[in-house]
Amino acid sequence: MSESMETTIRVRARDLLEQEEVSCVIGYERGPRGDVRPTFIYQAEDAERLVWNQECSHNLMVYLHDRKRPLRKGEEPPRVAIVAKPCDVRALNVLLHEEQVARERVFVIGIACSGMWEDGEGSQLQARCRRCKERVPVLYDTLVGEPPEVEDVEEDWADLAQLEAMSAQERLAFWVSELQRCIRCYACRQACPGCYCYECVAEQVDPAWVGIAIDLPEVFFYHVMRAYHLAGRCVECDACERACPVGIPLSLLNRKFAKEVAELFGYRSGGDPEIPPPLATFKRDEDLPL
Amino acid sequence: MNAEFEPKIVGFLCNWCSYAGADMTGTSRIPYPPNIRIIRVPCSGRVDPLFVLKAFQEGADGVLVAGCHPGDCHYADGNSHARRRYALMHRFLDFMGINAGRLRIDWVSASEGRRFAEVVAELTDQVRQLGPWQPPQRGKA
Repeated sequence: MSESMETTIRVRARDLLEQEEVSCVIGYERGPRGDVRPTFIYQAEDAERLVWNQECSHNLMVYLHDRKRPLRKGEEPPRVAIVAKPCDVRALNVLLHEEQVARERVFVIGIACSGMWEDGEGSQLQARCRRCKERVPVLYDTLVGEPPEVEDVEEDWADLAQLEAMSAQERLAFWVSELQRCIRCYACRQACPGCYCYECVAEQVDPAWVGIAIDLPEVFFYHVMRAYHLAGRCVECDACERACPVGIPLSLLNRKFAKEVAELFGYRSGGDPEIPPPLATFKRDEDLPL
Repeated sequence: MNAEFEPKIVGFLCNWCSYAGADMTGTSRIPYPPNIRIIRVPCSGRVDPLFVLKAFQEGADGVLVAGCHPGDCHYADGNSHARRRYALMHRFLDFMGINAGRLRIDWVSASEGRRFAEVVAELTDQVRQLGPWQPPQRGKA
């Protein structure tokens, strides 16, 4: 299955580059150590490097940020093709809504996704994939693969229940013990398709919102700030958590917001680029619990 | 908890309603707890949730965000934005282990001097019950 999909991706990529429809194809390749990594294909003959399997869990939308350079006079907008799983496409929708990328500059090679492996070939699916009901992207220019059948989807929010059952003090202790491992490498931010500020609040010096100490309470502030900035925008691709070198369960933060956003505003991020995220809009007469 | 404990509360009051309401409390000689430290902001929509977070990080025991009643915003809709933000922030602070009772968002108009005193008294009582807030302490494991 994934081999025929791989072939299809290569063929599409080669065609796109040969016909000069795009200047670059962003996809996955196998690195020298055998692991799957993101790759940028500029030449049609290099399309053979592209791979597809259930280890391709990076969210490639983060690389679109590097392609936002303003155009020179008379310059044709460069187009890129990008290999996108359903969750990645939701991230693209967020960027489209926020006008970070123009739709006509991206060619979406959508993937009918059967989930990503947690830990190498044949292991169980990642937690987010076990919950995922969306196996075909909501938006694509060409679709690769057949929509897989999804059996027994795990209950959503089950991972939050344990924390929510605790007292506020226990929760604080939990987060302190988790977050104090943070080394502030900002890998979570760099891996995140939703984090694209030119100057991050965490690095601003005037005003210096977050001190430079790699210690509590600064790391606590940083992570709450980042989670808040992603409220209603995070697509739960868990790229931050996978990027974290010290294993902080960052997805819990983002998923808490996703849950509350769903409860309060009935909104799920990335579904449609036309619908604004809940914190970018409001209703005059709404009754929210304050 | 502690009978001696006097909470420190940071109040972000919008210039057009709540700050004037607090003024009204004073000119009407209505007593209210001295625990609140007022910061005047242009609008409740100006109060970035990071302000609240920063206040807690710096050791405030409670935070009040007050603005014009919905529909009465001087800037038309600032408080409608604030309402959404803080409905979320409330729940998230609780999730992070900062008891949601420490944050209050309320609407106080310029003529509601008595109401301002009530809001501050209620919040002060509530925070006093919750006890002092200890921000996460320095010192890595």
